[in-house]
Amino acid sequence: MIEAHGLTKRYGAKLALDDVSFTVRPGLVTGFLGPNGAGKSTTMRMIVGLDRPTAGSVTVNGRRYADHTAPLHEVGVLLDAKAVHSGRSAADHLLAMAATHGIGRSRVKEVIALTGLESVAKKRVGGFSLGMGQRLGIAAALLGDPATVILDEPVNGLDPEGVVWVRTLARHLAGEGRTVFLSSHLMSEMAQTADHLIVLGRGRVLADSPVSDVIAQASGEAVRVRSPRADDLVRLAQTHDVAVTPVEPGLVELRGITAERVGELAAASGIVLHELTPLVRSLEDAYMTLTQDSVDYHAGGAPTTAASPTTEGAQR
Amino acid sequence: MSTSAPTRQSRPRSAGGGVTFGGVLRSEWIKLRSLRSTVWCFAIIAVLIIGFGALFSAVASGFEGMESTPEQQQSLAASVTTIGVAFAQLVAAVLGALIITGEFGTGMIRSTFAAVPRRTPALIAKLIIVAIGTFVVSAISLAITSLLAVPLLRGVDIELDLADGKYWLSMLGAAASVAFMAMIAFGLGMIIRNSTGAIAAAIGVVFVVPILFSIAMGLVSGTWVYSLNEFIPPTAASRIYEYVVDGSSMLTAPAVDGAIRLEPWQALLVLVGWVVALFAAGLALVKRRDV
Repeated sequence: MIEAHGLTKRYGAKLALDDVSFTVRPGLVTGFLGPNGAGKSTTMRMIVGLDRPTAGSVTVNGRRYADHTAPLHEVGVLLDAKAVHSGRSAADHLLAMAATHGIGRSRVKEVIALTGLESVAKKRVGGFSLGMGQRLGIAAALLGDPATVILDEPVNGLDPEGVVWVRTLARHLAGEGRTVFLSSHLMSEMAQTADHLIVLGRGRVLADSPVSDVIAQASGEAVRVRSPRADDLVRLAQTHDVAVTPVEPGLVELRGITAERVGELAAASGIVLHELTPLVRSLEDAYMTLTQDSVDYHAGGAPTTAASPTTEGAQR
Repeated sequence: MSTSAPTRQSRPRSAGGGVTFGGVLRSEWIKLRSLRSTVWCFAIIAVLIIGFGALFSAVASGFEGMESTPEQQQSLAASVTTIGVAFAQLVAAVLGALIITGEFGTGMIRSTFAAVPRRTPALIAKLIIVAIGTFVVSAISLAITSLLAVPLLRGVDIELDLADGKYWLSMLGAAASVAFMAMIAFGLGMIIRNSTGAIAAAIGVVFVVPILFSIAMGLVSGTWVYSLNEFIPPTAASRIYEYVVDGSSMLTAPAVDGAIRLEPWQALLVLVGWVVALFAAGLALVKRRDV
């Protein structure tokens, strides 16, 4: 259980975190989403006491992280893959971490096997790929068999096989009743892994609810219609406060109206339909809608157009 | 690489062994011996002490027929066998700075402080391990040098008596002086955090400051420069291993009239003062900073 109360972080004039409060519960995978620079990593570093909040506080299992007598047994954390001395071997790194808590050599071997690092355990970390670095970071996080696991961008740099592995691991850990808190800027990843989402944008909590609610919240009804008399249909639909996005001649997307209603309108006026498709918005779209005003760095223009022509991004 | 899902059926547990200072010490020991750069520094310290000590034992000019007491012979022998210590101090300073700035530079410090969130025990353990490591390596190197020096010095008519307790006290002082330089540089590393900057600062303290003082001694009239010089780390470090006979050792200038000259135990306190002051300043900063 992680409880954050009013976390605020100011770097000079920039407010990186602005009164962030949330609770991460055990037995669930909680996703921590947000664009780059939203404050996810800062928040995670604060949880384990590496960064000091300007205001607010955060506790893990009821106590400040530093107040636990055995912090590695309470919280396992992957902060970034290279929080390791590049000149040391993976096995020595883990042994050094384990020694602080009197964790034995056998447990070190266990996490090395668990993360598939056996073949490179004796190699120096400086030569590791990003993916192997991530595995080592996850091995270190699991060292103390912790009740709470925090992973910052765990799938970063992993191959598809590794991504599936992290997903399975996260679900498994939550299934054992642990608190699992994952950050990502990839929605698709969260859709498949998380039960609950906390969405952060420009240092503020934009959403804090189950995955399905986040989609529903940010989602409006949308329908794609193909018809030789598309223009007539649009004219009919516009009496119903509908947003229209022409895609190509004879093909439009309508928002704010159900497929049923479009069908009824078309039938009543004798308009032939060649296609009538309800558009279910993906988590990706929902996220874009939530965070589009809080993205610090746009890639020149609207970032959402490619993802979905129906989002507001296309209309800006 | 295996990517099978974990099969371990453990349940979350919050009990179990916590952080102990012994554990943190063991952790820092593992870190020290598992880096090539630190192992290299130790090897270089040993080579410098043994190499220079043995070389100068073989070529020392001795007393060349002058009358000398056994005590003066011991003093000269101690000066010769510790001739590499000043160079070892320099390497130890680089090691002391690297051992802490290397963690800041690579991000390792985040793993260290995640495991020991109170931070102070980790830094104290690291300081102790660096100090013990440099002291033990230097002491062993000096013992080897002394054994090699007996026959070599005999060749130039200097009799080194290894049964002399005062000689070994001088060797212990020399080993400690190397450890003190490592600790002072460690303190600088905690404050500066950047490897290049901390190494430059450490070399400045060990190498540049004494040069400035020797220039000042020639240019400035008055004994205060000589008195102040006693308190800079390199001078204090040399005072703790001098084999003093009748107020001076064989290779250092006799005290200037009216200037302070530190006794070995006073010099030891001065060095402890430097370490405590720098470590305390570094600790205050590291405890406050984000990492």
